[in-house]
Amino acid sequence: MSRKHDFSLGGPEEESSIDLTPMLDVVFIMLIFFIVTASFVKEAGIDVNRPDAPVTESKPEDANILIAIRQNDEIWIDRRLIDPQALRANIERLHAENPKGSVVIQANSKSTNKMLVKVMDSARQAGVYNISIAENRL
Amino acid sequence: MRKKNQMGGEEEEAAIDLTPMLDVVFIMLIFFIVTATFIKEAGIDVNRPFAPTSDEQADAAILVAISANDEIWIDRSLTDPPNVRNVIEKLHQENPKGSLVIQADENSTNEMLVIVMEAAKVAGVANVAIAALKD
Repeated sequence: MSRKHDFSLGGPEEESSIDLTPMLDVVFIMLIFFIVTASFVKEAGIDVNRPDAPVTESKPEDANILIAIRQNDEIWIDRRLIDPQALRANIERLHAENPKGSVVIQANSKSTNKMLVKVMDSARQAGVYNISIAENRL
Repeated sequence: MRKKNQMGGEEEEAAIDLTPMLDVVFIMLIFFIVTATFIKEAGIDVNRPFAPTSDEQADAAILVAISANDEIWIDRSLTDPPNVRNVIEKLHQENPKGSLVIQADENSTNEMLVIVMEAAKVAGVANVAIAALKD
């Protein structure tokens, strides 16, 4: 009964199938937008511990390997001037003595980032991945 | 005409079934929406120091650049050191899970680096890394 009625109205069959073309257009435009804006920025870097400036004091001092960078980019460990080439060996030795220790770099505010990253890289080569940075105004 | 329709006819055969393509397109759309991370680029290119052990920072959301003459650039604008914290806080709210990468020039001083790191800490950024050149 109803079927006959529908047919007489002229094409409810066609009406029942929704035209998907506009939605497809929108979806494709969104797809293209997100593909184009997808920025896969590959930034290489070295993770630094959160510089907990006041908290660093509460850590046991002897548990850390302290490396100081002076304003003329000299590296001092244990009151000795260290050549940048020998840095890795020195950190390795200190790390072997104290495997739980993390590296704390005390960088002078006038020292350059180049030396800081060099020290961090040497520490990582020596197997210490726990690195924090403290500022040293001396 | 109607009779043909009723017989299961040519009209239906002529229209291609778009449903599988729609499925694929929607899945691609959802993938790209989900993976879309809107990284705030710093806006200047710096001379990164060389560090072979550096690894790729996958979840970087904010890039802060420090130029060779100690200018701090965030989100394509020059930022004053006292202002860095506010800017980082604002950007961090947009993407709270993202980490911060400091692109410091190899000749920049560590004073600026520490200023940015302190600001990031106060702003609540969980993970801070220093950009380096892998090879």
